[in-house]
Amino acid sequence: MTRTDEELVARSRSGDVDSFNQLIVRWERPIYALAYRVLGREEDARDVCQDTFLRAYRALPGFKGQAKFSSWLYRIALNLCRDWMRRQQRAPVSQMPEDVDAAELRSATEPAESIEDLVARRELSAIVADAMKSLTEEQRTAIILKEYHGMTFQEIADMQGCPLSTVKTRLYQGLSQLRKQLERRGHGVPALVKRI
Amino acid sequence: MSETFECGDSGALVAYLYEECEPEMRKEIAGHLTQCESCSSEIDDLGWTRQRLEVWTPPMSTLGFQLPVPAQESRLPWWRAPLPAWAQAVAALLIFGVGLSVGLTRGPAASPQVAATPPAVAASADTALRAELSQLEQRLKSEMAAIRTTASTPVRQTAARSDAPSDDILKRVEELVAQSEERQRREFTLRNVELARDFEAQRRIDMASVRETVGQFQGVTGTEIRQQREAIESINNFIRVSQQGR
Repeated sequence: MTRTDEELVARSRSGDVDSFNQLIVRWERPIYALAYRVLGREEDARDVCQDTFLRAYRALPGFKGQAKFSSWLYRIALNLCRDWMRRQQRAPVSQMPEDVDAAELRSATEPAESIEDLVARRELSAIVADAMKSLTEEQRTAIILKEYHGMTFQEIADMQGCPLSTVKTRLYQGLSQLRKQLERRGHGVPALVKRI
Repeated sequence: MSETFECGDSGALVAYLYEECEPEMRKEIAGHLTQCESCSSEIDDLGWTRQRLEVWTPPMSTLGFQLPVPAQESRLPWWRAPLPAWAQAVAALLIFGVGLSVGLTRGPAASPQVAATPPAVAASADTALRAELSQLEQRLKSEMAAIRTTASTPVRQTAARSDAPSDDILKRVEELVAQSEERQRREFTLRNVELARDFEAQRRIDMASVRETVGQFQGVTGTEIRQQREAIESINNFIRVSQQGR
C-alpha cells in the first residue's frame, strides 16, 4: 500500500526514519532536478539535494502541514540553492551532461533516435542551459518551477513570496528574454511556425 | 469577478499560454488571437520557446540518499526488545520479592529490618555478612559442643538439675538456627539479584553484537545494490547505443 506524503510525514515526525526515507525516495529526483537546473552543476545539485532532506528532517517537528510537503521541500531546496550561489558569488554554470540524461533513457523505449538527432538535442540542451543564465534568478526560478515542476502561478507566488501578477510578469519576461538569447545563438523561432 | 482582456496584456497572455485563466477569459483571448497578429505571434513565440525548454534535462545522477536508521531495537519483536529502565527496576524488585517470600515460607517470620533491606545495600554488605556468618558458625559450634557435653553426663545428674538451663540452650539454638536461615535467605535473594543483573548485562552485550553484525550485513547489501544499479545503467546504455546503431 502506498502511503501519502502526509501519512509518511506524520510517521516520520513520530521518529520513524524508514518513513522519511520513503519520502526521500519519492522526492529526491525532482529536488535534484530543481537544484541542477538552478545551479547547473551535477555535484552541487546532489549536495543540495542531500542537504535539503537533512534540513527537512531536522525541521520536521516544526512542519505543521500548513503547506504541501513537496512545496515545503522545494522551498528549502531553493533557499539552499540561493545560499550556495551567494557563497559562490557567481551565476549558475552550464554543464554539458556527460552521463545519460532522462530524455535519452526515455528515448530508449520510444522509436530510435538517430545519432545526429541525439547530438543536436544535447547541443540544444547546452544552449538552453546557457541561455537560462542570462535571466535573473527570479525569472529563472519561476520558469523552472512552472515548466519542470508543474506548479501553479499561486504556488510559485507563495514560494517566491511575491504577488501572483509578479509571477506572470517574471514568466513573460523570462520567456521573452530566453527567446532572444536562443535567437542570438542561432535557435530562433522558424518563420514557418509564425502565423500568417 | 469578470475581467476583460486588453490587447497586449502580457499577464493574461501568459495565463492563456499556461492554461491558467478562467474559461470565459480563455475564450475571449482565443477570439482575440484570431484577429490580432501581434498577440498571436507573441503566443506562438512563447510557445516555441517553451518547446525548446523541453530538451533541457538534468543528467541521470545516481542518488539513493537515505538517512541511517538509528537503532534496530524498535524493529525487534516485543519479547526480544530490551526492557526500559523502569521495567528492569520492577523486574529486580520482583525477583527480590520472590526470593524474600520463598525465604519467609521456609522459616519463621523475618525481622522487619531484613525485609526492608534493599538489594543495593545487601550487595554492599556482602563482606560483612560473610564475617557474621562465620562468627555465627563458631558460636553454633561452641553451643553444640556445650550441648554434647551436657548430654554425655549421667541421666540422674541431668534429672537432678533444673530444666531451666536446658530450655535456655534450646531457645538459643533455635534462635541461632533462625538467624542462620535468615542469613541464607538474604544470601539467596542477593544471588538472585546478582544473577538477574549478570543476565541482563550479558543480554545487552549479545544485542550489541547482533546489532553490529546486522549493520555489517546492511553495508554489504547496500554496496551490492549500488553495484547492481550501476550494472543496470550500463546495460541500458548498451541497449540504447545498439538501438541507435541499427
